[in-house]
Amino acid sequence: MSAQTPTAEKPLPEFDIVSTYSSILQADPDLTMPVAAIEALVEAIAHSSVSTVAETLALLEHHTAVLKASIPNPISLSAGTDLFQRYLITTLNRPAALNLGPGDDFRAIRNHLLSNGRLFVERAKQSREKIASFGKHFIRDGATVLTNGGSRVVGALLRRAAESSTMRFRVIYVLSPSSSSDSREGHQTVADLRAHNVPVATIPDSAVAYSLGKVDMVIVGAEGVVENGGIISRLGTYQMGLLAKSKGKPFYVVAESHKFVRLYPLSQFDLPIEQKVLDFKVTDDNKATHGQTKPTEDEGIADMNAKEIQSKCSGLNADDAVDFTPPDLISGIITESGVLTPSAVSEELIKIWF
Amino acid sequence: MSEPVVDEAAQAPPAPTEAANKPPAQAKSDATNPKPAEAGAPKKLSPAELKKQKQAEKQARRAQQKAGGEPPTQQKGPPQKDGQKQQKDSKQAPKDDKSRPLPVRRRPSQSSVPAPKDLKKEAKKDWKQVGLFFGHLYSQPRQHSMVGASKDVHPAVLSLGLQYSSYTVCGSTARMVAMLLAFKAVIESYQTPVGTSLARHLTSHHLSPQIDYLRSCRPLSISMGNAIRWLKDIIIKIDPSTPEAEAKRELLEEIDMFIRERVTAADKLIRDLAATKIEPGDVILTYASSSIVEQTILQAHKAGVPFSVIIVDSKPLFEGKQLARKLANRGINVRYYFITGVSHAVKDATKVFLGAHAMMSNGRLYSRVGTALVSMLANSHSLPVIVLCESVKFTEKVALDSIVGNEVAPAEELLSESERAALIPLKSQLPQTSSKADDKTNPEETKTGTSDVLKWIEGSDNLHHLQVLYDVTPAQYINMVITEYGSLPPSSVPVVHRLSTNT
Amino acid sequence: MPSEDSHSLNFLPQFTTREAPLSLNKSSGKNLRTENPTANFVLRSSPKLGTTPPPPSRQLHLTPSASKITDTRISICSVDRMTQGAVAVAPGLSSFLKSLKTTPADPSVEHFISLLKRRQIRNSRPCAIATTALMLRVVGEFKGRDAAKLMERIRQVGRRLTAAQPREVVVGNIVRRVLGLVREVLDENVGGDTNGGFDTGRNTPTQPHDSMTRPTLASSISTFSPLKHAAVEPMDASLHQSDMSESGELPKRPGLLTSHTSYAPASAAPLVNSLFGLFSQPTDTPSNASTPTGYTSPEGKSAHSLNLERLADLSKSQPNLDLRAEVMDGIKELQDELEQSDEQIASVALEHIHSNEIILTHTASTTVQKFLLSAARKRKFTVVHAETYPHDNTATHGILLTGRKREGHVHDEEDQWKPLTSVGIPVYVIPDSHVFAIMSRVNKVILATHTVLANGGLVAAAGAHMIAKAAKEHQTPVVVLSGVYKLSPVYPFDIDELIEYGDAGSVVPYDDGEFVDKVDVENPLYDYVPADLVDLYITNLGGHAPSYLYRIVADHYRSEDITL
Repeated sequence: MSAQTPTAEKPLPEFDIVSTYSSILQADPDLTMPVAAIEALVEAIAHSSVSTVAETLALLEHHTAVLKASIPNPISLSAGTDLFQRYLITTLNRPAALNLGPGDDFRAIRNHLLSNGRLFVERAKQSREKIASFGKHFIRDGATVLTNGGSRVVGALLRRAAESSTMRFRVIYVLSPSSSSDSREGHQTVADLRAHNVPVATIPDSAVAYSLGKVDMVIVGAEGVVENGGIISRLGTYQMGLLAKSKGKPFYVVAESHKFVRLYPLSQFDLPIEQKVLDFKVTDDNKATHGQTKPTEDEGIADMNAKEIQSKCSGLNADDAVDFTPPDLISGIITESGVLTPSAVSEELIKIWF
Repeated sequence: MSEPVVDEAAQAPPAPTEAANKPPAQAKSDATNPKPAEAGAPKKLSPAELKKQKQAEKQARRAQQKAGGEPPTQQKGPPQKDGQKQQKDSKQAPKDDKSRPLPVRRRPSQSSVPAPKDLKKEAKKDWKQVGLFFGHLYSQPRQHSMVGASKDVHPAVLSLGLQYSSYTVCGSTARMVAMLLAFKAVIESYQTPVGTSLARHLTSHHLSPQIDYLRSCRPLSISMGNAIRWLKDIIIKIDPSTPEAEAKRELLEEIDMFIRERVTAADKLIRDLAATKIEPGDVILTYASSSIVEQTILQAHKAGVPFSVIIVDSKPLFEGKQLARKLANRGINVRYYFITGVSHAVKDATKVFLGAHAMMSNGRLYSRVGTALVSMLANSHSLPVIVLCESVKFTEKVALDSIVGNEVAPAEELLSESERAALIPLKSQLPQTSSKADDKTNPEETKTGTSDVLKWIEGSDNLHHLQVLYDVTPAQYINMVITEYGSLPPSSVPVVHRLSTNT
Repeated sequence: MPSEDSHSLNFLPQFTTREAPLSLNKSSGKNLRTENPTANFVLRSSPKLGTTPPPPSRQLHLTPSASKITDTRISICSVDRMTQGAVAVAPGLSSFLKSLKTTPADPSVEHFISLLKRRQIRNSRPCAIATTALMLRVVGEFKGRDAAKLMERIRQVGRRLTAAQPREVVVGNIVRRVLGLVREVLDENVGGDTNGGFDTGRNTPTQPHDSMTRPTLASSISTFSPLKHAAVEPMDASLHQSDMSESGELPKRPGLLTSHTSYAPASAAPLVNSLFGLFSQPTDTPSNASTPTGYTSPEGKSAHSLNLERLADLSKSQPNLDLRAEVMDGIKELQDELEQSDEQIASVALEHIHSNEIILTHTASTTVQKFLLSAARKRKFTVVHAETYPHDNTATHGILLTGRKREGHVHDEEDQWKPLTSVGIPVYVIPDSHVFAIMSRVNKVILATHTVLANGGLVAAAGAHMIAKAAKEHQTPVVVLSGVYKLSPVYPFDIDELIEYGDAGSVVPYDDGEFVDKVDVENPLYDYVPADLVDLYITNLGGHAPSYLYRIVADHYRSEDITL
């Protein structure tokens, strides 16, 4: 909550939403992008002196646009900003909802938001714990779980399962040898699991199909859960989904519900971001950077290294890229409020947007 | 060298050969049009002598069909066949009581022809019964006694036929071996009539009635067809100048050799190879019972490999029960499921071993009905499905589904005695709409027997029981076929078939 | 404070987001009942059953429906007992229902538990009927006005019942629905006079905004929580602010599901959507947040979050609220639903069966038979019936021969229907092993089910999985018929837990002792069929894609009742 406190009439020039956002992220490594974005927007409101609904919305829109433009992969982030925006619109349009006198509506909401900023963050973190304690029931005794990436919520789930002494299970962790923060998170999870006596095998992306015969279920994290119930997640998730489907293995996604994003990709190339995964060349000059795959990130790295990412705004290369896993490959989405089928995700998003 | 004649005779139904395939027994009651048979004869492109034989057969059959209505063009054979036919008719009456729903089976095409009055009721029912799926297969009543057999049929063959029809001798290979052994007896007691040679006479006039009789007991298996074709080939190749005794001795030796090579040795090779596929800790799933699978399992067990077996079984033969018993007696850990539980069984299994009735040239497996289900589920669980099959069971025939070619089992076998007994209490609830059932209920006040249950079913106009013996498993469910030539993918079946028949 | 539109909705059978008979909305419920001809039944005392003297006084209102059930639903259960022939009174559903009329609730619970344990009442429908009747009795005998106590009482009975036979999921379903009824009665009455008064942050469900802006989709995300597994570990108190406000006895029980929705939606009642849970007001949530429900969403009532104790207080403070009577009315509607679900399912048969179809089905299911019969009135088609050996084969043959799977000694003219064959439908019985062989000629597969799970999968008689799989391989559509009462909010974390294994003796007779000794004879009675093998569900509410079942489930169960 590091805050510059400019008190100018026009907040726009003074308030730097981007730096606020990144400092929020950096201050708390456990934070996810959507929540950080919401935090930043709350800050923005706090620093403005807007007094009407319309002004507030305009302000938000502006900040959101700036924020989105500032990072190469705003999908996850936009889940937070969109949610916040919808919340405000819905709430402001229905002042009676808070049972306040008509005059107080706006101020009350504003106060509510401002005074409870940290609470949102806490809740977001809680939901991860909640998912973990609930989702661990998916892991049955004797099961072998395949997972990938550095999703913290998946890590939390596995750790929680490992802590319960009654269950024995094994984990196959798709991990790249690179030193990205994503794989750092992964290594941390692996180390934790091993410390709990859970046998863990780490494999590269290329060994997924090979290992699948020994796998009982696949659990992955997600950067965003899109409208049709599919997910956006680190590059490689889609192929895991395809392989799991072809082998008839259940494929579960773990995601907090604030990652639901209003987006409806039709294909891998229909994402609102530019990715340089396919880079056709006739010369091999760029071999150094592309020669070796170093798999990447889901929200983990994106959150923690927002600044880093900021510097390479020109599009995502293979390391940071994401892919889209369509809903028919997903057996269930484990959220803090239960296991949703992909169609239930769709319903949730429809409900707030229509 | 394949001989179309035998081939047709030996095998069940692909359309063009149906007419020729019509066994004598079927002929008696129906208004079969002789046209197809007649038309079919000239079409055959067989070598001259074979053609002759075939014509002889056909005419014999035709003569018999018409029961003298048309003058037979050739006089070889008909006398006996007529006799046979008559006997069959006479025998038919008593038999009907025992096996109710097995009246004269008619093909749907024939059903439009008005049947004789006395047969009308049954015929109508039959048409309905056969109309849906397997109408084309109901072509003959099954022989359950030797009453109707031709006098030419050798006693060994007679008893074998009964064993066939009662499933005492069951399984493609076993039936083939038993047939060859019976034929040895036939050949031993054979004496070439004066004025002809063994090579010319034995096949058409002495073996054919035996084969016809066996077929009337139960349709010939693919392997039997292959063996018969081979045998006829051998017989024809015998130099007419060879003394009879020597020729017979040669034949007997050839048969022994055939059994040794194609079955005994082949089985050994297959089980040696297949047993190496069983690894410690494996859970081998098999369906029903196959002798070669049994040998393989026992071999692996003897070798000290620790593994367990799941046997999936189904009605009505419960062949798997015998297998389970044998394996359990050898100390193998056996679990036993019915086919309804197969989706649970495949969860625990690691490999699937299947026997075969035949391997089709398009790589599909023709085997005990239910095999396709087991393979399908195993395949969806990514279990390797391994078929153990001697090359003598390979056929150049192809099949897409289980409907076109199959063997119909008597419908009354669907309900075992105890199941029928379980249905007896329903007597009072039978709907009064079915007049037939009504008839039965009145006189039977005293006691309801299990046979009455069958009568209810038969009496119900729209209720049919349907049973076939085989189904066709798509090639994509099969990972490996192990034969005496080694392991091969199902797509290579025609290659091996060609190799094994050309040599 | 139901809005008017809910009335009309109640009478649209296809309207799926809520289910008419369950509505406790008083006025609509009554409309429904009067409109429904079978609801106004007259008690016919059959000679056998009428001999029981009518229970005295207080239970009088219970008698008609209970004995009606006895009349019409007698001994659907226990297929295997058919084999025993006309034994006069085998313990089972009929004897239980009979004794229920004279026995007080507690011994009846014991009786039912023993019947469940001994499998003398089994299969979904008999269990549902027995549970409903028992619940009626339990509620009927409940004294006092304390809603919390009533719910605790129901819960406690429910827990014992489900513990007695966890695989009869239907028992738990019915108990949960009764709990939901109680909650709904409370919601309704509380909503009436506490508008604005009961909590500052909360508002009444009758928000005009609510019903106008999102009339049908107003439920919160936590209504999906039917998918939640029961055994969630208790939350840390720190994680879970609303645990504190949970009514007294609840926190004592570990694994209570309510903990899930702690910060979510219901506390932000006007916001309606749980996705906004993040923003909800933090401190002013005295009630347990876990009471959102999509169940009554059209009226926006769902937005209520009510605390049990609070409710209890309120109900006490409302002298005119006859909680017991209203809940019993609701249970009777539930009974009507059970009664009618087959007919309702059958009524859409013509939409699904065309002329000259070849339809494959299995096992002996009255639902399927009625469905086919209904279609047979207008169309000609062919049925292929897999006999489901060795469990249901006798019943299968029986139902085909006689049209019923009842035992011989029950004569009930009303409930008798003709076998399919007598209305001109050819039926081919095949052994189970023939399914793959025949499937290439089949147009449609219609399956009966034991339980439908919230993820769209189902538990059905053994063999169902291979049938559905074979159908998939042949691109043949698979249709599952199921009354809504078979829909369970239980998420199938461990499918094996739901699969019951039967007596090995029906696979291999025990007289073959040597065999049984040496071979492990396994006899699973049920199969789990994953959702992706099913193309369509037809319930008494209409047809649904498997992916939509989560919604139907959410409409029928309160998330807080998922763990009993």
